[in-house]
Amino acid sequence: MEFGHFLSALTPFNLLLALFGVVAGTIIGSIPGLTATMALAVLVPITFSMDPASALILLGAIYTGAIYGGAYAAILLNTPGTPSAIATTFDGYPMAKRGDGDLAVALACFGSVVGGLVGAFSLLLLAPPLSKVALAFGPIEYFWLSIFGLSLIASLSTSNLMKGLAGGAFGMLLSTVGVAEVSADIRLTFGSQMLVGGFGVIGALIGLYCIPVLIDLVATPDRHLKMEEDVRSVRIGEAFRIATRSKFNLIRSSVIGTLIGILPGAGGSVAGLVAYSEVKRTGKPDQKFGEGEPDGILATESANNATVGGGFIPTLVLGIPGTPPDAIVLGALLVQGVRTGPTMFSQSGSIVFTFIYGLLIATVLMLPAGLLIGRYAYKSIVNIPKAVLVPTVGFMTIIGTFSIRNSVTDVILMLGLGVFGWIVARFGFAASPIVLGLILGPIAEQGFVQGWTIGSATGNLFGMFFGRPISQGIIAFTLITLFLPLYTARRRRKKAREQT
Amino acid sequence: MPNQQRHPDGHIGSLVISALFVIMGIIALYDTTGYSDRDSQVFPRTVAILMILTAGVSLITRFLHPQESGGFGTGTWWRRVLLIVAMFAGCLAIPHIGFLASGVISFAGGLIAAMHDRWTPITAVLYAGSGMAVMIAFFALFRYVLHVPLP
Repeated sequence: MEFGHFLSALTPFNLLLALFGVVAGTIIGSIPGLTATMALAVLVPITFSMDPASALILLGAIYTGAIYGGAYAAILLNTPGTPSAIATTFDGYPMAKRGDGDLAVALACFGSVVGGLVGAFSLLLLAPPLSKVALAFGPIEYFWLSIFGLSLIASLSTSNLMKGLAGGAFGMLLSTVGVAEVSADIRLTFGSQMLVGGFGVIGALIGLYCIPVLIDLVATPDRHLKMEEDVRSVRIGEAFRIATRSKFNLIRSSVIGTLIGILPGAGGSVAGLVAYSEVKRTGKPDQKFGEGEPDGILATESANNATVGGGFIPTLVLGIPGTPPDAIVLGALLVQGVRTGPTMFSQSGSIVFTFIYGLLIATVLMLPAGLLIGRYAYKSIVNIPKAVLVPTVGFMTIIGTFSIRNSVTDVILMLGLGVFGWIVARFGFAASPIVLGLILGPIAEQGFVQGWTIGSATGNLFGMFFGRPISQGIIAFTLITLFLPLYTARRRRKKAREQT
Repeated sequence: MPNQQRHPDGHIGSLVISALFVIMGIIALYDTTGYSDRDSQVFPRTVAILMILTAGVSLITRFLHPQESGGFGTGTWWRRVLLIVAMFAGCLAIPHIGFLASGVISFAGGLIAAMHDRWTPITAVLYAGSGMAVMIAFFALFRYVLHVPLP
């Protein structure tokens, strides 16, 4: 960790790469259907002729930019540009609808930068010890982590918990459609070839979040987003003050994102949801989460960007990629002839530390680049006539969904799910629990089945599920998340009764 | 989260959707009986039972305590239907006429559905032209830059 590595990252070429990567990643990530994985996969060949450190800086910058870019569509169109931005829609879109989209975009940028910095500093200072966290997580811990994520349903469905749980179960059932990973059984296809491939998460996200918005937009002549008399630029000062007030939330969410990023397979979507759940659980009574609460955006965006640095920890130290984008970076490293593993920090120190400093610089560059792009994105979406916006977004949903698996079937399923989501949402079955079930279902199933098999084989099923210390900690947090709101509401009612 | 509006169709609709979830749960439960491996049964079966129970409780609660919240609310139905039909028609046409031509079907339907102002020759040319430009730009980006094999 020498100062020379920092200077190596500061060469004009590396700075240019970091800036290009952040801008390209942000733009690609903002288009629904184009994920960080796709951005990296498309741009990875141009890194083959570079030296390893520069290649890594470019890839890291694209990755972090794409995760942040997902917030634009989430805030302005209620469509997560990437799965990491699911929880950003909860408060981002309500803020945009009431005319605070510019503030929401700036908050997302501040949150992303703080999260990205915490993740990158963790990679710089704590990589070897933190990588042990990944090894401490077995299938049962993953199962309980997914259940903890699902407990967010309780706080998202305050009006009707049963409908929220039914929606979550429906989402989990959707995640089982197709070929079972464990035994290759064909499940819930009812003989239809269309369903054998299952429901793609990205297509389902686009369908459930974006199509209902389009259906509602065309029905009335109202504006798509509230527009102020004079369209302001992104409200940097106001966003900075809010972010400073919420520093504890920012740091906590960034730490959550870093830790979840370390866990292979969890990724930004789980990190965002868990951080959102935590900020909601610990929020003040006057904070209205789900109705445009700035803290919700800060929590989600800091957590999902922190997973970038966190995800690189097991990738570089153990050679275990935490997420698909990490796997692409790992592949690029292997092409470059760089061997990952516990000795990488000592044997290839110049590459690793130059890359980490490059990632830090790219994250800092995201602040001006992100605010500038956010300003134009906001102004464009606000000023574009609704008659053009709706078919344009409709076309983007189709092309974005198609591009994931080059499948027309996926597009039809996306549209079908969108119409279904719109109908059931009219009657209190909101889209978010369905999406939570769909995303967390596979993690829960894999952990559950593996845990069940191991527990049965060792004759200690109860101990397997409830006897491990990390599992017990997650179970405790889950129970608190589920029952604390009920307890608080009961106490408040009792207090109100006593006062009257 | 959608805003819940007060509407008379809210009560019946809520009952119907809850019943639909119960039926889907029962169908899923039945489907699990045909799996060869117990490992692939256990999770969908557990989730299907959870869905039947929660949707069932919701159904009974709604039946005993009717509430007129929810419902389709206000808005023009033909516009909603036109948008959905145009998007489906465009998708189904992709294998036959290609991505760009089918995109025109979806775009035109969406444009007509979303246009609440009076049409003038200028707006017609401007909106259709900007739509074509956007579609061509995205088509080129995906096909030639990102190498997505668009038909």
